[in-house]
Amino acid sequence: MESKYHYSPHEKMATLIADNYRLIQVMTRFGINVGFGDKTVSEVCRQQGVDCDTFLSVVNFTIDGYTHADTAGRISAQALMQYLKQSHAYFLGYLLPSIRRKLADGISSAPSEISFLIMRFFDEYETQVRTHMDFEERTIFAYVESLLNADTSSAPDLHTYSDHHEEVSSRLHELKSIIIKYGPAKADANLLNDALYDIYRCEEELSDHCHIEDELLIPAISMLEKAKKNTSHEQ
Amino acid sequence: MRHDEKLHIIVAETSPVISAGLSFCLRRLPGLQSQTIEVHSYPDLIDCLKSTRSDIVVVNPTFGGAFAPQQLRQEIEHEIKIIAIEISPLDRQTRSLYDGSVSVVEDLPSMADTIRKLTSSDTDTDSDPDREPLSSREKEIITLVVKGMTNKEIADRLFLSIHTVMTHRRNIARKLEIHSATGLTIYAIVNHLVDLQEIKM
Repeated sequence: MESKYHYSPHEKMATLIADNYRLIQVMTRFGINVGFGDKTVSEVCRQQGVDCDTFLSVVNFTIDGYTHADTAGRISAQALMQYLKQSHAYFLGYLLPSIRRKLADGISSAPSEISFLIMRFFDEYETQVRTHMDFEERTIFAYVESLLNADTSSAPDLHTYSDHHEEVSSRLHELKSIIIKYGPAKADANLLNDALYDIYRCEEELSDHCHIEDELLIPAISMLEKAKKNTSHEQ
Repeated sequence: MRHDEKLHIIVAETSPVISAGLSFCLRRLPGLQSQTIEVHSYPDLIDCLKSTRSDIVVVNPTFGGAFAPQQLRQEIEHEIKIIAIEISPLDRQTRSLYDGSVSVVEDLPSMADTIRKLTSSDTDTDSDPDREPLSSREKEIITLVVKGMTNKEIADRLFLSIHTVMTHRRNIARKLEIHSATGLTIYAIVNHLVDLQEIKM
């Protein structure tokens, strides 16, 4: 079947990963575990209790870089939010602490004041990301919950949301350029490179994550709001 | 263009070979940070423009049968720059409908020039932040920022208005691509603008 979408539910799950290894992350965050043999995407999703349309929307968005007009109507805000929460847990609980360890090891042999300041910069950055993600969970995700449960709660300002995303990404860009331009020459090159590779990857993954929030979650919220308005009119 | 963000370019071309090749080249333009999205049909182009914040479309004039730049501009709410892909030479009238053109036979620096001309109109003219050295006044201000002084204190010390100090700080941030106090401190130590004893850590 020819589909305008990159991957259809009938594709083998293993093919997706073989085509693009970055999709492993997407899979894990949806709670899909490896070991699915030759099953198709829809079979794996059904078996592991994952909303297939939402999974494929994130997969196709990650690969193509844009979404189709009808996507918002097909995804489950609940499933997408679960995915985004898992992403938050990954950044805050795993990736950033792991970069911090590598960075600290890499520059430990350098003059202490520069190392100290680079670590301080990193910690300030980590705090900023944590504050931003906490804010999202407390306001935006909570609002989605309330829409899903048909509670009444006022809408948070979704515009400030995207502004925050730009701040978070420009700060990481600055960290990279500081290490590269002014980083200590006596650092352990292998360890420091390892940290830098992770920072580049973190930057890409954070940018994908923020785009998914801006381009998939926000439209899904608008759909929920519209649906809520319609039902309240009917009553 | 948004502040130190990459350029987002959409490549609209039906031939996968030309599309992939052009997309590859556009991501490697000297002196420009850009990322590309490839679309292969007109409805995809519309979806893409509506769902991303891309502001540049590089498009084959035969895209979707016959491509009409004016029609696309009307359909999209935000302002976009439309650049024609020149596979064979374009006639003057077709060319006039576009903001510029890139040829499949031109080299990367000249392609970069075309893109830069279209995007730099709203920023400072022709200034290359990497090559612009700091003035002695700007260095002086960095040392004071690093010592923990506020804009007001710096203004009083140097007999400047707060507004002028803020302008200097914006220029420093732009030239060094450093926006944070911690980042400036690292810069100041590495470049020996301050003694360690003077810094409030």
